[in-house]
Formats: sequence, C-alpha cells, structure tokens
Amino acid sequence: MNRQEAIEDRALEWLIRRNSPDWSDNEQSEFDAWLEESMAHKAAFWRADHGWQQADRIRSLGFGNEDWPIENSPQRSWRKMAAIAASLLAIVAVGGPAVIPHLGMTQQTSMEVAHFATPTGARKIVNLTDGSMVELNTQTTLRTGLSENSRKVWLDSGEAFFDVVHDAKAPFVVYAGQQTITDLGTKFSVRREGDRVTVNVLEGKVQVQDSQGPEAHAAIITAGDTAISRGPSTLIVPKSTERVQNALAWRDGLLDYDQAPLSTVVADFNRYNQTQIVVTDASAGRILIGGSFKASSVDSFTRLLRDAYGLKVERDGNRVIISSS
Amino acid sequence: MIEDEELNAWFVQEVLPLERALTSFVRRNWRVPEDVFELRQDIYEHALIGARKALPQNTRAYVYTVARNHLINQAKRARIIPIETIADLDTVPRDIDTFEAERALTARDELRRAKEGIDKLPVKCREVVILHKVDGLTDREAAEVLGVSIETVRRQVKLGMKALIDHMLGGSGRIVRKSYPRRSKREVRP
Repeated sequence: MNRQEAIEDRALEWLIRRNSPDWSDNEQSEFDAWLEESMAHKAAFWRADHGWQQADRIRSLGFGNEDWPIENSPQRSWRKMAAIAASLLAIVAVGGPAVIPHLGMTQQTSMEVAHFATPTGARKIVNLTDGSMVELNTQTTLRTGLSENSRKVWLDSGEAFFDVVHDAKAPFVVYAGQQTITDLGTKFSVRREGDRVTVNVLEGKVQVQDSQGPEAHAAIITAGDTAISRGPSTLIVPKSTERVQNALAWRDGLLDYDQAPLSTVVADFNRYNQTQIVVTDASAGRILIGGSFKASSVDSFTRLLRDAYGLKVERDGNRVIISSS
Repeated sequence: MIEDEELNAWFVQEVLPLERALTSFVRRNWRVPEDVFELRQDIYEHALIGARKALPQNTRAYVYTVARNHLINQAKRARIIPIETIADLDTVPRDIDTFEAERALTARDELRRAKEGIDKLPVKCREVVILHKVDGLTDREAAEVLGVSIETVRRQVKLGMKALIDHMLGGSGRIVRKSYPRRSKREVRP
C-alpha cells in the first residue's frame, strides 16, 4: 500500500468511527491530533467527508425501498447462503445449543427498521406493530427493527420506557451501548448517558447483559430493581419499588425525588428544558430535595428554591444561576 | 493564516469540483497510471499548504499551477519521463469540465448520482453500505443482521465508501483492490 492509499484508508476509518454513536472524547482528541499531523491528512479526510456527505441523499429512500429490496435477489443470495450455513451448523451442533441463538439471527426474513427522536422537553409514545409500546423521554433517539422472529431496539441516546408484549419466539432486545437488555415479559425503562446505562424494572423481569461475546455476563433483574452499568461493571440496586417509580415519574411529566441532592435534581431539569439551571457552589448542590415537580416548570422550581431554601436565584438570558446567599 | 474551517470550505466548494478534470489532466501527463491517485493527493496537499497563507483569487488556475509544478518536480526526481514531454504541461485545459460546471447539484441530481454510485457496487458491498448509510446501522448491528463478522462489515463498508466517494466526486466509482509497489521503490532502480 502506498502513502496515499494508507492515508485515504485511515481517513475512511476515522470517518466510519466518527459516525458511530459511541464516538468518545478520547477518540475526538486522537482524531484532531491525526488531522494536525499533516496537510495530507486533512486533504484526504475533507475529501472523504465531503464525498460521503454528498451521498447522504440516499438516506431519504429509507429501508427496504423498491430499488434495493433487501429480501429480493440478488442481495438475498448472500443472506440465504448464510441461513443455509447456519441451519447446517445447527444440525451438527445439536450437542452445543449455546451456538444456535447466535446463528439463528441470520435466518430472519426481512426487518422493518424505523427511527424515532424527541427534542428537549418532549415525550413521545410509539406503538410498535407487534403490540408493544415505547415511550421516549426528552432528548432521545432510538431505532427499532422488527421482523418475524426478532424484535430489536437500539437506544442511541436518552431514555425510553418499554411495555412489551412477550413473545418467546421473538425476543425483545434493547441495545444500549455495550449492554443488551432482553425482555422476559415486562415493563421497564432504559436510560443511556454515554457508556452509563440504567435499567429500571416496573413489572416482570429482564436480563441485562454486557454484550462481549462468549464471556458476557448476564444478570436477571426483577420488578423494583434498578441496574446501573458502566462498561462491563453492573451494579444492581434491589427492591426499591419507590425508587423505580420515582425514576419513571417522567412519564407523567413529573420529576419525583426522595431526598436527592440538588445537583442531581438540577441535572434532570436541564435535560428537559432549554433554560439551564447552574448551581455555582458545592454546598448548595448538596442540599437534599424531596418532592414532585413538573419537569417543564423551571420557574416554579427555582421560586421554591428561593422561598423554601433561601437560595439566591438570578436569571441571565437562557440560564438561571443558583447560589447560597 | 487561514483557519481550518475556512480552508475546508474553500477546498470542498472550489477544489473538489475540479477533481474529475484534474484527474484526467494528471493521467494525460503522467506515464504511470498507477501513480495518478497518489499524485492527485499530493497536489491537494500542496494546494492546501499554499492556500493556508491566503486563499487564491482564481482557484482553477491556482490548482493547475500547483499540479503542473508538482508533475515537473516529480518527473525530474523520478527521471522516468523524457524532459520534452513536460513541455505539453503548459497547455492547461481551458475548457470547463461539465462535471465542474454542474457543481451545484440539485437535491434530485444528488440522489440520482448517489443511486448510480450504489448500483455500481458489488452485491455484498452494496448491502452493507445500504444498511450503514440508509438505515443507520452500526458495524455491529449490520454484522448481526447479515450474520457475518464485524471485520467483514468494516472491510466492505470501507471499500464501498471509497468507491462511492470517488463516484460522487466525478470518478469512475469502481472498486480498486489492486496494490502496487511504491513509486519511491521504482525510483531507486537504475
């Protein structure tokens, strides 16, 4: 490979990585450093980025459009071969059923993919064709992929509540970063902030798994449990029904707290509103707050802080600044 | 000193539309076809380095001057082109390339062009690119849907992207898999 090809290759790799949802700050600085190394790097990346953006139009065609029907030939041949290979392997691998679920995925016929997103402060209820319901919280993007024998949701960012119609033949799986959450008949919510994933189970049970191949760890959590994962480590907070209900209060447009520090409450308000609350000193941030607040009403919340807690409240354009007076 | 943002905008709006014409200019004036893409990349690099100090008034004339100087320097260094062929380099194309003229593609043209580019891709590659670009699936998700390894998906996406980018910028949009010896290696030969 000559120099030009190597650089072009590298530029494409950056482009692919930058467009993936788990692009991190680390990668960004690594990438910036690479760009700064040489004008040749910039030339190659800018060219690739521009050319790739020009092809963005095809996105408007959506999935499974008539020009490239994914279930028709010739594209199908590849998948069909994979399916045949999978079924042959399944026969051979009768003794080791652990292999089959992975290969089973190749046998699906066609998948119906859809995108959903909510802006700041909005909520949205989506009824899926399988009868399940997904409720998106503020600043959430997710994609659903439904087929006869699998139901998948990719939570790219934000938080969603799932009320799933259980179907043993088509497991309902939520992918959130490294974690996969498999429904075992239930109502639950998943929230994703970067690599931190929080699962709250309201009814039934779910399996939470860090999807790292054969050495993956799985934990089953039941109603009233909360699982908080960061990468491969998962913390399970058992039997705290009230906590789970508080965590799901957003579904009624409310934020519920039982003695949570102000800094946490403020971070939640900031997820729902364009107006951002800033707490300037740490001692104010530690004040414990209990109660139920309307997520959209920054004004009444900050008034309460002033009247009930004696904090100083100043409005500065799109920001509300809170400090100990 | 021109900031990166402005330099990028200039490069994308003024230089890249010249790509098709520039590529054939290089091809006409260089004996070794395998070198063309590398030379083009060098020309972009030099053009950007020069433009960082001040953006040129006439981008087209500027880019061809950079291209011409670079080809002459390379020819002298490589000693693979008889010096008299360089004289031809003075005749910089005066006719405006049609692709360059239609630089402001309408949304419908862009869509048509993107579709043509995708249709040119080999089947496997096309399927991966569609999953990636149209459906927004990540590598891992696409690997799962297709039942192939994540490495296969990455390789195919990269090949497909490369060809599609080339196509969108007026190139042939063909997948080039061949690898060939470095130009510098040939230079050491007696």
